[in-house]
Amino acid sequence: MIATAYKFIRYDKPKSIGVVIGIIISTFLIGQQVGILTFLTTLMGGLVSNSDTGKADIWITDKITINANELAKIDGSVAREVRSIEGVESAYPIVVTPAVASFSNGKTAPVTIIGSEAPGFVAGPLKDKIIKGSLADLLDDFAVSADFYDASTLTNSTDVGTELEINGKRAIIKVQTKDARGFGGSFFYTTLSRARFYGNFPDDKVSAVAVKVKEGYPVEKVRDEINSLLPLVNAWKTEDLKSSTVRFIVISSNIGSSIGSLVIFAIISGFFIIGLTLYSSAMDRVKDYGTLKAIGATNGYITRLIIVQSLIFAVTGFILAWMLLEGFRAGVKNAGLIINISPLLLGGLFMITFLISVGSALFFSVRTINSVEPASVFRN
Amino acid sequence: MLSVRKNEDVCFELRDMNFSEITGENQPLKGKQEADKKNVAVLSGTSKQYKTGDTTITALQPSDVVFRENELTLVIGPSGSGKTTLLSLAGCVIYPTSGDVWVKGQHVNTLNPDELARLRLYNIGFVFQNFNLIAPLTALENVMQPLRMMKIPVKEARKKAQEALEMVQMGDRMKSLPKQLSGGQQQRVAIARALVGNPSLILCDEPTAALDAKSVSIVMHELKSLAKDGKSVAVVTHDTRLKQFADRIIYVHNGYVSETPPDEEIFN
Ligand SMILES: Nc1ncnc2c1ncn2[C@@H]1O[C@H](COP(=O)(O)OP(=O)(O)OP(=O)(O)O)[C@@H](O)[C@H]1O
Ligand SMILES: [Mg+2]
Repeated sequence: MIATAYKFIRYDKPKSIGVVIGIIISTFLIGQQVGILTFLTTLMGGLVSNSDTGKADIWITDKITINANELAKIDGSVAREVRSIEGVESAYPIVVTPAVASFSNGKTAPVTIIGSEAPGFVAGPLKDKIIKGSLADLLDDFAVSADFYDASTLTNSTDVGTELEINGKRAIIKVQTKDARGFGGSFFYTTLSRARFYGNFPDDKVSAVAVKVKEGYPVEKVRDEINSLLPLVNAWKTEDLKSSTVRFIVISSNIGSSIGSLVIFAIISGFFIIGLTLYSSAMDRVKDYGTLKAIGATNGYITRLIIVQSLIFAVTGFILAWMLLEGFRAGVKNAGLIINISPLLLGGLFMITFLISVGSALFFSVRTINSVEPASVFRN
Repeated sequence: MLSVRKNEDVCFELRDMNFSEITGENQPLKGKQEADKKNVAVLSGTSKQYKTGDTTITALQPSDVVFRENELTLVIGPSGSGKTTLLSLAGCVIYPTSGDVWVKGQHVNTLNPDELARLRLYNIGFVFQNFNLIAPLTALENVMQPLRMMKIPVKEARKKAQEALEMVQMGDRMKSLPKQLSGGQQQRVAIARALVGNPSLILCDEPTAALDAKSVSIVMHELKSLAKDGKSVAVVTHDTRLKQFADRIIYVHNGYVSETPPDEEIFN
């Protein structure tokens, strides 16, 4: 069956190539868009996901924000108060403040300064994202971190030793991170006090408080406890703050709907382009299918023959699209666009490819070929 | 197809009832079929009508025809007379409008399309005017196709197909695609495909119409030798020169079947 199906495919090379290209284009497009969207969502939640989740079970923010990138100031006393709540092991104040960085070449860029207490640096940077320097280096005078991938957006090197000014105050990059980034702004990590200093942030205020829950206490319960005892702030499970942030940006920026409609468009156009090309090549072979029926093939056999052809197309197109995606991933990696081709993405893509080609074969070709009467072979 | 069959079924019931009432037999046709095992295909009071729009064409009037083992039956008649219709009925590719069709003891009227396909696969070989080889498959693969559909393993199927191709002197062109073969060669491959599954009935619709004189002779001799080997071979043609190969001739004229030439009938 597979051999016969393959011969049918090979016999009509131009149309078969057309089908495969159709599958490659729609599969690649879908994979690329979903990959970019996934990458963007990691950036959106970057502030939360780059923090030390081993320590931050709960984030406390102001009452109204649902986007971690837009934290309003809360009272610094919250960190102290929360420590006395049952189930709280420790609480870490975090300062997040916008600033303007200017470099020796005269270029300036908006940045986000993120400060948390040394030596834990609960807000980040995470050890495994540091490629040059160490957390201890952030204790040096004027020390901040900068990200490898932000070198081009900051129009300068972010290498260790680079001097710059933040809000007009001297700073030195002492730690270089890789892929510790947010959505629409470079992250500069530093100590809590230096973040206040650079961002002119009031001493009695913080942006958020990260809370570590004692072992044996359910995080939800502690969160609810904080919320009932401290009515002026809002406690989140870390994961919830991240997903709320992502959801907010995806919806408010229309990224979700624009990528979503592109994916749907790719599926629909793939379905029709592939289906109609398959249909046209099946119609070219209608005499052969009729002959097969006359000499004893059942409709089931013919259906399988067509489905196996569409499966061969699906697998070939999928593998080529995957290779193309890998090429795309490698190509944009250096620019800091990190596309993660996860097994989930691949599985989903294969399902879509499968549905497009097998679905369109069933929809267009199988119905028509099944209605061909075996007696028709006598009339030609 | 299904709705047509339902009406036919009602037809059969009525007809069978009258028949058994008259003859007093329970299953007269089954009896007739089994009485003579040499009858590979039996058409009994079989007719076929085609409906196109509001006109009904009677392609075959109610006819009694048998195709027997060891016989090459020539079906002769002018264009449009109903030859292909007759062959299609015996070949189980269409259902009769009235009457019964039996092939290898199976009552075709009662079988569903999948059962008919199976019946064709195992019992009937077809040879067509335009050869109808599967274009993407080589000569060998074409001949292997019926065997593969019977789920015979590749190795065994290949061996049998090679033997069949050698039998029709096409052993040296097994790797060729149909489009690389001449008409006569394609028809020989088609004959190999028709006989490879060892069917009892081989039905040929104008097998020589697209062939030159030399190829006609080769093809007809091959069909003749199949009949000698015990198969029932039916050849539809309007070429009276093929009469020399016939063991028996059936004439079809305006949908009527007879064993005597129509002009003779009129003459008598
Ligand atoms: N599927 C069909 N639908 C409608 N009419 C049909 C169909 N098949 C055959 N007919 C009609 O039935 C009649 C007999 O056709 P048939 O094909 O049996 O003739 P034939 O003797 O084989 O002719 P030829 O020598 O030209 O092949 C013709 O009038 C034909 O038009
Ligand atoms: Mg005909």
